[in-house]
Amino acid sequence: MEEDEEVLDIQPRYSKEEQYRIFDKEFMPHIDSMYNFAFRLTNDEDDSNDLLQDTYLKAFRFINSFQEGTNAKAWLFRILKNSFINDYRKKSKEPSKVDYQEVETVYNSSEDAEYESTVDLRTESVQDMIGDEVAMALNGLPVDFRTVIILCDIEGFTYEEMAKILDIPIGTVRSRLHRARNLLKDKLRSYAKTMGYKELR
Amino acid sequence: MSNPQKVEVKKQHCENHQKCMEMIQAVLDGSASPDEIEHFKSHIDECLPCIEGYELEKSIKEGLKNKIERKCCPQKTVDLLKVKIGVSLFILGFVVVEIKIIQLIFQS
Repeated sequence: MEEDEEVLDIQPRYSKEEQYRIFDKEFMPHIDSMYNFAFRLTNDEDDSNDLLQDTYLKAFRFINSFQEGTNAKAWLFRILKNSFINDYRKKSKEPSKVDYQEVETVYNSSEDAEYESTVDLRTESVQDMIGDEVAMALNGLPVDFRTVIILCDIEGFTYEEMAKILDIPIGTVRSRLHRARNLLKDKLRSYAKTMGYKELR
Repeated sequence: MSNPQKVEVKKQHCENHQKCMEMIQAVLDGSASPDEIEHFKSHIDECLPCIEGYELEKSIKEGLKNKIERKCCPQKTVDLLKVKIGVSLFILGFVVVEIKIIQLIFQS
């Protein structure tokens, strides 16, 4: 893959002018979304700036492997996600990998468990929460689960687009989102209890 | 009293709640299949846990979308990036020319 991209890189399909035009018209409009994604992944402004710049420089370097008119945002998000995994996740203090099997076991242990664990979190409690509380709950999730929620709920990607960005099957996107949301509900319920929202029946 | 309404009895327990919630989430995310959308429309009103689950998922999704601050890229980062792109384009051009020169030398 790396070699293929290098080959493309030394045999440019786009002229210099076209490269600048594609960069400005197709890539730059997504810079705020990309920065927001970087910030939600790293939780650090300096790291977000570095990650964003690395991503855009890579995007420019491999611009010949981008097909003009296709989904530039998804293409850029995929590069950013890969850069984060390869270069930034190692620096992160949080656990790098989620034990999916463990989480799956917890949530599959009983079908009733899910309903019982979320039933005391009420719609009104969530509506009463402020952004900081929702953001803290999201930040408290392991990064793999946080990523699917950011891509789906904040950036509005479809499951198909997420599957391409994350390089996983659509079925895995779906089940990972489901588990991520269960974990998020646990966090929100804890906040609701702590803050004294009217969550208990 | 003269116009008695039909009382619908909703299920108080969902025997397949986990699968239902996956489907409900897919509907809310706009990624459900036509069959799932049809199933959702025809059955959602029958099951209390699913109705409550739908409302809760919807409010969380809206909270994530609308309440969390969206960070914007600082202008100085944009400016720095443009400078770096200009420099990298120059280097790229130099490398391409250099490779072509090497190819010409080896061909001759």
